Amino acid sequence: MRDPERRLSETRSHTRRRFLALAGATGAVGLAGCGGDGGDGGDGDSGDGGDGGSTDGSPSDLGTATVGVVNPITGAYSSLGPGQRNGAKLAVSQINGSDQYDLELDAVFEDTGTEAGAAQQSAQKLVQEDGARYLFGAISSSVALSLNEFAGQEEFVYFPGGAAVPITGSACNEWVFRVETNTAQVAEAISAYTVNNLGTNVWFHIADYAYGDSVYNRTKSRMQDANDEFTEVDVTRSELGSSNYGSFITQIGNSEADAVVLGMTGGDLINFVNQAAEEGLKDQVDLVGPTMSFLVVRGATKQNAVGTFGGVRYTVALETGDNGQFVDAFESEYDGTPDNFERVGYDSLRLIAKGMQEAGSTDPADARDALEGGTFTTVLGDVTLREGDHQATNPTWMSEMVEGEGDVATVDLLAQTEGEDALPPASDVDCEMG
Amino acid sequence: MPAVANVVEQLLNGVTLGMVYVLLAAGLSIIFGVMDVINFSHGELFALGAYFALTLVDPLGATIGFPVALVLAPLAVGVVGAAIERFTVRPLYGRNPLYHILLTFGLVLIINDVIRFTWGQQQQQLAVPAALSQPVGAFGVRVALYNLFMIAVAAVLAAGTWLALNRTRYGMIVRAGSQDREMVRNVGIDIDRYYTLVFGFGAALAAVGGIVLGGAQNVNPNMGGSVIIPAFIIVVLGGLGSFRGAVFGGLLVGIIQTMTRTYLPVFEGLTIFLLMIAVLLVKPQGLFGNPEWGGGGEEDGELLVGAYGGVFTAGTRRRLGVLAVAALAVFPVVATVTDNGFYVTLANTMFVWALFALSLDFVMGSAGLVSLGHAMFFGVGAYTGALALLHLAPSFLVALVAAVLVPAGLAWVVGSLSIRVSGVYFAMITLAFAELLYSAVFKFEFTGGSDGLLGFDALLGLGGVGPRLSEIELTVAGLTVGSSVVFYYVALALSVGTLLVARRFMTAPFGSVLQSIGESDERAAFVGYDVTGYKRRAFVISGAIAGLAGGLLAVNPDTFVVSPDQTLHWINSGEVIVMTLLGGMGTLFGPMLGAGVFIGAEDVLSSHTDQWRMIIGAVFVVFVLFVPRGLVSIPALVARRFNAEGGDPPLGVDEEVNADD
Repeated sequence: MRDPERRLSETRSHTRRRFLALAGATGAVGLAGCGGDGGDGGDGDSGDGGDGGSTDGSPSDLGTATVGVVNPITGAYSSLGPGQRNGAKLAVSQINGSDQYDLELDAVFEDTGTEAGAAQQSAQKLVQEDGARYLFGAISSSVALSLNEFAGQEEFVYFPGGAAVPITGSACNEWVFRVETNTAQVAEAISAYTVNNLGTNVWFHIADYAYGDSVYNRTKSRMQDANDEFTEVDVTRSELGSSNYGSFITQIGNSEADAVVLGMTGGDLINFVNQAAEEGLKDQVDLVGPTMSFLVVRGATKQNAVGTFGGVRYTVALETGDNGQFVDAFESEYDGTPDNFERVGYDSLRLIAKGMQEAGSTDPADARDALEGGTFTTVLGDVTLREGDHQATNPTWMSEMVEGEGDVATVDLLAQTEGEDALPPASDVDCEMG
Repeated sequence: MPAVANVVEQLLNGVTLGMVYVLLAAGLSIIFGVMDVINFSHGELFALGAYFALTLVDPLGATIGFPVALVLAPLAVGVVGAAIERFTVRPLYGRNPLYHILLTFGLVLIINDVIRFTWGQQQQQLAVPAALSQPVGAFGVRVALYNLFMIAVAAVLAAGTWLALNRTRYGMIVRAGSQDREMVRNVGIDIDRYYTLVFGFGAALAAVGGIVLGGAQNVNPNMGGSVIIPAFIIVVLGGLGSFRGAVFGGLLVGIIQTMTRTYLPVFEGLTIFLLMIAVLLVKPQGLFGNPEWGGGGEEDGELLVGAYGGVFTAGTRRRLGVLAVAALAVFPVVATVTDNGFYVTLANTMFVWALFALSLDFVMGSAGLVSLGHAMFFGVGAYTGALALLHLAPSFLVALVAAVLVPAGLAWVVGSLSIRVSGVYFAMITLAFAELLYSAVFKFEFTGGSDGLLGFDALLGLGGVGPRLSEIELTVAGLTVGSSVVFYYVALALSVGTLLVARRFMTAPFGSVLQSIGESDERAAFVGYDVTGYKRRAFVISGAIAGLAGGLLAVNPDTFVVSPDQTLHWINSGEVIVMTLLGGMGTLFGPMLGAGVFIGAEDVLSSHTDQWRMIIGAVFVVFVLFVPRGLVSIPALVARRFNAEGGDPPLGVDEEVNADD
């Protein structure tokens, strides 16, 4: 069933809120930024400085850089977008309050919906009206792919949130860097485990758009490599934003499948898992979702998620990088637990700032050069933005959802894939910069 | 697992969905049958039911809360429905059903925003009693118990409605009213009193549908919009105004949707629209509809065209036009000097929509053809333009020519088939064609599926020679002129040029014939005009202009993606009707003005408030009720207010504009 209203809201929904990040505890004393080097020659916003100064009293000599943040606040991913935005906000307030950075970020926000046409308007507004030369966000891979195009055209640095492989693969360009873990990395963690431990007859059910296709292609090919017995029972597709999965669930339940790989996330995955549990599908096949471990998904599926399997891009219990600091800061700011999208928002904004800091300039071209091939400390440990495709070398995990303390299932990590093993060599990913 | 059991399970899935559709469509159909109101907001009332239930279930818990909600929430929605009828729909009786579409479209925006504001954007789970949420099985067939519960609830309500309609005095009057309202009035029954009741009852039925479906799936702000198009299909298939038709159509659509999804996934999303088109062509009154009934909307109130030339003399109008074009011509200079380049981009979007609105007015304002699927020409124009840039030649001229020709051809085909039916049926068949195309673009590789088309760029020239439109940067008198400004002047020239050509058509005998057709098909035919031929020609020209608008969207240097929702989604058809009415139908320039005001208001409002849809919706409702001739009629309305004492009423404004009609 199509979801037209989904589009009603998204076609033109751009709620804007300029987020005035406050300087940190020691306080800004009104030292005007000295105008920066204004190197981007863009719309002149980068050099106008804020009132904020750095905490030790020395001027923020790189000035202020405007960063556009676009997240799905409406539509199928409206449950995920706010988290992405909160992570970004936390990073902005830390950066502006820290003396480690000689710059300030001025973040402006827009809604993308789940549709590229709406996202186009939002991104245009941020870039053309607000003068953003850095952009972060989007969760839908289709939206991210279109923003890739925009970044290449307008020459600004873009950190996408979508997970489909082509974003830093066939559709890559020199302006795009991805901190989000992509489906190839997650597929590496879940494919072999699934086909060797859960069964060799696998059904794929995917949301019919870039991310779903990416999960299907990547997981299938890794399963083929991992076990000769692997058989694809069938593949079915539903439209992004669907609510009714009854007929797919019936088909899968009546097949020979041992496991079903769900190439979908957010509301779609929640609906599928809940309906599958009601119709008894969990007793017949194992449900495996590359994003099953997302807190939002577990929170909305409760007991229905117990016994399912999933890839892990991030979980709050990790002891990697500076995750401890991140979790503490997030929990004191937002009264909730961070998850993957919060992590992506947080580290994307931090890397944008680190890129400028390292380049000694707020010019996106300089920051791009500094980011390319650089290794940075993140929540997931030291990761490299690979020179060949600008993909972060994040580790990934396979997990099972088990009974938790409350009624929300807990993520039980089963196996880890190291960052360098999770990605195919950059030379193999079909990315041509330029 | 035997194949038979599989089919049975899928059939049960289809019947479950179908029964929810029955609840939704029954109310919609009865409301149409009795009052001729096409209620676009019916889907939002459906959603409102689920949200009210959510509010009750959360504190009370599923076991007690759910049954309580199933009774109380529909009653509450029934009250809301009755209030809608009493305060917004009632003043419009006697007007063309188009105004109900427009009014309820505005209500969609308002109710939907109220839902978002009150309950949030995110999808929520409506807890159902644990006893119901488990699978049951027999004879190898396995099904969720909750599905059986949904079927049972809907069946009981449908049977109850049938009995109420057929075994009670109220039902008899309602049925009589849906067949011949005048006759009921003539026998001394005040049928109007029953309208509020019927509207409230229909809303309550929809609310029950929303609650039971919400329990199976989830509750989200988009759930209303996702069911309204299937609901329309059902009502049209079954026959507008027919309860039996709604039941049959609901089950049919539920089963067909489920079965094609399972056994013919390639055709998912296409079959029901093909079926709808076929039924409309073969039996326009629907499978159970009675052609004798009044529910065709054909003989109903006229469309109110804008007060064209109301207060101003021809000379003044010409001077105003020249002034407007001159102001538009200097606008980019001002915007560039004051460093407001974004507003040039925004103005470019306005031009695209202004042309699109002009295209609709060309057929709606003159010949009275209300197309609910005009987005198909706009969308096909955009796709054709982008595809031409990608595969044919990267020239904006080639793209625009292709974007005009292909939609014109499409309009000829669609027009030839659709013009055979009129009124509401014409609106519905164009909607079906548009939805068919919308579904189709998801399925093809060459249209980019749901990702849309990316990576096209127009050259300002021919045959591969010329600068890239997106890279143009000139320095004129110390000002840097970017690609947006260059495109602005191209779009301005095309908009003004197209408007002049369209006006030429309308002032020529061709236009006069169209207007006479708009006033009365039959009269024009009696006089000897080929009504169908004229309508089709107008439709082709309209399609070409809409295609041009779409083509402009594609060659706009600020466009980097052409996606299905942005172009082909039905909401675009709805919005362009809104713009046309807002500006003033039948004036050609009024709708263009309406488009500019709509896009501008949206941009300004969305920068200041999250509830901007509600404001647009409210403004729109006010326009439908009090200013049905649009913005262009305001000078005349103002003038009339001044001349109220003794002065002659200005031309083109009649008493119907009064708020009290």
